[in-house]
Amino acid sequence: MKGMTKLQANLCLLCVTMCWSTEVIIFACIPGSVPGFATTCITSAIGSAILIASFYKRIAEAIRKSGRKLILACLFLSILNGAYNTMYIYGLKDFDVSTGAFTISMTVVVLPVILLSLRRRVELHTWLSAGMVLIGITLSLIGKVHIGQMTGFLLVLGGCLTRAVYIVFVNRFAREHDPLAVSALMTGMVAITSFGMWYFVEPRTFAAIEWNKQIIASLFIYSYFIVAFAQTINFFAQRRATAASSTVIYSLEIVFSIIWGLVLPASIIDPVPLTLSTAIGALFVVAGSLIELVDFKALLKKGAVTNEG
Amino acid sequence: MKDKKISDVLLTFLLQVIVYLVVSIPFKVMEVIPGFTDIRPVTLLGPIYAVFFGPQGCLAFAAGNLITDIVSDSLRWSCIAGFIANFGGPYLIYLYWTRISKESFSLRTGKNILKHIAVVIITAVITSAIITPAVALVYPDVDAALFAVMVVLNTAAFPIVLGIPLIFLMQEELGFEPHK
Repeated sequence: MKGMTKLQANLCLLCVTMCWSTEVIIFACIPGSVPGFATTCITSAIGSAILIASFYKRIAEAIRKSGRKLILACLFLSILNGAYNTMYIYGLKDFDVSTGAFTISMTVVVLPVILLSLRRRVELHTWLSAGMVLIGITLSLIGKVHIGQMTGFLLVLGGCLTRAVYIVFVNRFAREHDPLAVSALMTGMVAITSFGMWYFVEPRTFAAIEWNKQIIASLFIYSYFIVAFAQTINFFAQRRATAASSTVIYSLEIVFSIIWGLVLPASIIDPVPLTLSTAIGALFVVAGSLIELVDFKALLKKGAVTNEG
Repeated sequence: MKDKKISDVLLTFLLQVIVYLVVSIPFKVMEVIPGFTDIRPVTLLGPIYAVFFGPQGCLAFAAGNLITDIVSDSLRWSCIAGFIANFGGPYLIYLYWTRISKESFSLRTGKNILKHIAVVIITAVITSAIITPAVALVYPDVDAALFAVMVVLNTAAFPIVLGIPLIFLMQEELGFEPHK
């Protein structure tokens, strides 16, 4: 057991991003009458139960070893996670799928600022990358947002700032503790806190949902792939990657969202019209990712060596 | 001692079939061609069962597929071909990494990841070549070309996109050893 290589970690983060981008497809199978907090509560509870049942010995060992520190870390992450998800849920109501996805990509732009405020060093290519993504977002949003969406925009911006802090701390805690234990415990805590919010908006909770096979299946699918699978892989990959490179890979979610909107039938996902500004915006996001992920210095060096040879 | 080993193998087999069913059954609500084929992320388990559990894993994968067909009321004569293909596909991956490849299974390099992707795509084509004629023979109304493409996509895309990261996690972080 050697631990993932950088290449493997980056591919894992790409896979995680792709899984997250399919959220809209799974959500399409859940009726709008099911509150967002209900979905978060049930899927987190199932995801956490799966992880604890599969790795209870390892998780118990991690709790025994790190104790209060681990619990507090998970609690902190679950609060951040709940906060940014809630801001996204309410903020995104003001946007369509494409505009909303681009707006969420702002996380990559605010991350370097968060890193600086935490007195972390930010590399030049990270700033360049954030700049490219910002150009991409701006291009895609021109003419599509108006002043009436300001509340939604500010909520999403708040969500992005919180998410950036969350990513920085996931990156730190995944190195300090067992990522599997962090993933399982944090998910369990998210389930508990979102149950509280769910109870607040709908006191009848489970009894208020008109259960059918499709809702149950969708919730299980979400629990396996978005919660248990993607989140655990994300925590392990973050251990081997930097917060900046992780965030940049996450920003590729917009590219996946555009692809799903183009190739999947309208019965599964709302079609996303591919305009010129959307396409150029997505290209800038991809370019920004490449700047962060590809080691151009090493490539140039290699090229120079080859030319000399 | 031998009895214990057999019971361990049986327990592992049972667990693998249960995992298969737990993942596959919810996806029966997302059918693309009703009654025949659907979006099947469960196929990501094929190479994983093959690489980490060998022939017994391949059998569990095929059995899981057959039981899913039974419980979802999709049992047809073509399921015999489905059983053979769902055992054969993962078994070819197992054969490649244990008999043909000169190095033992590891996806730490880009070259090996590409090799694994190629093997998965080839086995997906073979799987489709086994299942499609059987379905076309029993149900002539089915668009065989579309069906074949769907099988290849299902059998290749999910093991590549989701299966490979899961293999990284199992082998590099959770300590699973490839089956020899």
